[in-house]
Amino acid sequence: MVLDVRRFFAKLVAACAVLVAAPALAEPVDTGHLVAELVARDQSIAPGATTYVAVRQKIDKGWHTYWRNSGDSGEATSVVWTLPPGWTAGDIVWPAPTRQPTGPLMNYGYQGEVLLPVPITAPASAKPGETVTLKAAVSFLVCEEICVPEDAVLTLSLPVVEGLGEPNPAWSGPVAKALSDAPTPANFASVFAKQGTSLALAVTGEELKGADVADAYFFPFDSTVIDHAKPQVIERGREGLTLTLTPGYAFQEGDGPGTMAGVLSIGGKAYEISANIGTPPPGASGLGAPPSKAVGGGGGALGLPLAAAFAFLGGLILNLMPCVFPILAMKAASLAGHAHDRRTAQGQGLAFLAGVLATFLALAVALIAVRAGGAAVGWGFQLQSPPVVAGLALLMLAVALNLSGVFEVGSSLQGVGTGLAGKRGMAGAFFTGALAVVVAAPCTAPFMAPALGWALTQSAPAAITVFLALGLGFAAPFALAAFVPGLLTRLPKPGPWMDGFKKLLAFPMYGAAAWLVWVLTIQAGETALARIFAAAVIMALAAWLLGVAQRRRAAGEKPLVLASVGGVLVLAAAVAAIWPSYGARQPGPTASAGASATVSYEAYSPEKLAAAQAAGKPVFVNFTAAWCVTCQVNEKVALSTQGVADAFKQTGAVYLKADWTLKDAVIEAELAKHGRAGVPLYLVYGAKGGDGAILPQILTEGLIVRALKDAQGR
Amino acid sequence: MPDFRPVAFAAALTLAAAGPALAAPTIGQPAPAFTIKDGAGQTRSLAEFKGKAVVLEWTNAGCPYVQKHYESGNMQGLQKGATKDGVVWLTLISSAPGKQGYVSPGEAKTWKTTTGAGSTALLLDPAGQVGRAYEAKVTPHMYVVNGAGTLVYMGGIDDKPTADPASLKGATNYVAAALSDVKTGRPVTKAVSKPYGCTIKYGS
Repeated sequence: MVLDVRRFFAKLVAACAVLVAAPALAEPVDTGHLVAELVARDQSIAPGATTYVAVRQKIDKGWHTYWRNSGDSGEATSVVWTLPPGWTAGDIVWPAPTRQPTGPLMNYGYQGEVLLPVPITAPASAKPGETVTLKAAVSFLVCEEICVPEDAVLTLSLPVVEGLGEPNPAWSGPVAKALSDAPTPANFASVFAKQGTSLALAVTGEELKGADVADAYFFPFDSTVIDHAKPQVIERGREGLTLTLTPGYAFQEGDGPGTMAGVLSIGGKAYEISANIGTPPPGASGLGAPPSKAVGGGGGALGLPLAAAFAFLGGLILNLMPCVFPILAMKAASLAGHAHDRRTAQGQGLAFLAGVLATFLALAVALIAVRAGGAAVGWGFQLQSPPVVAGLALLMLAVALNLSGVFEVGSSLQGVGTGLAGKRGMAGAFFTGALAVVVAAPCTAPFMAPALGWALTQSAPAAITVFLALGLGFAAPFALAAFVPGLLTRLPKPGPWMDGFKKLLAFPMYGAAAWLVWVLTIQAGETALARIFAAAVIMALAAWLLGVAQRRRAAGEKPLVLASVGGVLVLAAAVAAIWPSYGARQPGPTASAGASATVSYEAYSPEKLAAAQAAGKPVFVNFTAAWCVTCQVNEKVALSTQGVADAFKQTGAVYLKADWTLKDAVIEAELAKHGRAGVPLYLVYGAKGGDGAILPQILTEGLIVRALKDAQGR
Repeated sequence: MPDFRPVAFAAALTLAAAGPALAAPTIGQPAPAFTIKDGAGQTRSLAEFKGKAVVLEWTNAGCPYVQKHYESGNMQGLQKGATKDGVVWLTLISSAPGKQGYVSPGEAKTWKTTTGAGSTALLLDPAGQVGRAYEAKVTPHMYVVNGAGTLVYMGGIDDKPTADPASLKGATNYVAAALSDVKTGRPVTKAVSKPYGCTIKYGS
């Protein structure tokens, strides 16, 4: 009982001390560009216990302080404690930093408000009832573009109590959060390997299986192991990821470092890792760049019904896009041919629909399979391959020659009969549909991009649904035209004019072939030109020979030699076009011919974007490809006008071009980041930084001018 | 053969395209050549100093880390000691016009007297071409080139990455150490170190 009373009194005294001392009292200090103070997780501490006291920084807008590795420049915040005898302070528990790009360089640090918690341990001999003063001399380097070293001596009064320390109502939450958010050692296997001029950091672990690693970033503890300013290219693997880094100074000394430790930031989480030299395990790579991430304005927020609706609408509009015109013309001719035979017209409409759907399905399956195999591909991916483009160019030529009447399709292979004639028409409509989809690939219509961007990040059934919706929309106008009675009868009656019309339609097809040859020369250089022209001449000769053979057969002869020579030549032309593979494009004048009519541009890189943003300039990024007709039309019609050039001049905006004509993992990753799987994509970044605004896919002069002016003040 | 590492390959391409046209400065390799105007308006080049050890020092008078070395006289002392030894000391300014540390051609004429520097020459690099060729990141960022034109040191000036003048006492000066290695014909013991200081204020 006596003991109890004494304990009660001890507690009472302690409680009074707490009240009198105004627990955990600290005064904020304004050092010029930030306000600093010590904040304690607990408002009192027991003898022998450990609490956390954090250095709280409220940094002026636009300024930043540094992480333990400050990056290319700067200096970490440092704290020197003056504590009563027996009291100890541990190391700062550094929160995960953020990137602070400065011109062409990269720093790591903090903006806004940040807490740097430090463990403080009271000695067992601390006397309940006493109040100690903790003193911290803190040195900050605060930087905007220029840097100012600022110092503060911060103090905190902390009462010693018996039992447990009381949580500090104002700060226990934020300090506990800073501690729980801080990077903790992860149960990952990490290895690194220098591969030529780059450095592969492979991280695998249970927690990384299927994780969204789109924004993964490695912050090394040592400032000399990597070149901080260079992009970190992410590749996913079944069990983790591989970051491709650029080695820093440390690799120029002897054998380079044997370990590489730091913080791996993924999504909202940060893990402490320590990698040794080793061979990256196969599970750390092989799945390509990360899929798109849900970003405002992109397709991330779409659900399946909306994505399918967008895809249908996009498919409808695709009919009006420039790359589909030649095929549209062919289809119109075919429909007109059966305008007065409704059953045939309907059958052909359905066959066309089937052809479109089957091709979209095949394309979707191929796309999904290729992506699952790890390649970074998107809409129009097949046109990134020179052999495919060359093959398509020959196909277009063959179709054009057919329309010109050089040879016929089918009649030499199949017997003559009314029943079969109908079937032949059906097969023709089916393949017209297939062809229409193949040539539509270079175009992205409005609505289509978010739908496909969404689809490619979803499960296979959802992705296929979206592709089929796109196909339905694409085929709908013609399929329906065949069924709506009023429409067909309005088409002109068939007659001799049709032969002339067909021959006229050959010319858009010749145009399409010429355009594909142009794309090929951009992809594979001038040497490809000779090859494709040779193949084209052989193809034309073969078509003519086959045509002659067909006519002789019609006259009752058996021109076997002629037909087989023609067939062999067709094969020869096809082989010449696609094999052996084309060499890579020489990074010559094509790649850097930096001036359109009036606005000069630079090739896109994330660093150039960061540099321009750091310089306070608005930035216009044009994601384009030579094979993307929508892109080319936008560039000619909207981007090359005097008004746009003036707007670039007035706003000081920087024009960056991301050319996706050939495969490019960095561009693919940027597209994915904005929920896109294809080009075009137009982004306008404001002068004051922040995320880019997405412009519509059909540009007009006024739209760009407005967007640039808007970006200047944003 | 299929390309199993398209990402790494693309990354390498991107990195190659993003960096300067010249290869990154490498220890043991020829130092990137340059030709540029000095403070007196004369055209200077690295090649003209062949046969002599050359120190490159990036500076920005507004930078607290530079001030640590200039206000204490530490940098001037190093410069004078080195030039007396026959070393060529080139001080470079890569700040763009209008940015911190920029020195106009007019101001450059009096730079040596106002700072008391012992450099052989002040080189003006407002377009940042030399800075970018050397991938110089901070002020002060230091490089040492030997008489054969080989880069033998790059990094910080010493082992105390702070702006606090008190840190000069007891600091190991890497540039002085490298120069003494070069003078005696030894390989440079500490060939790279962490460069520290303020970001170079490049133009865009």
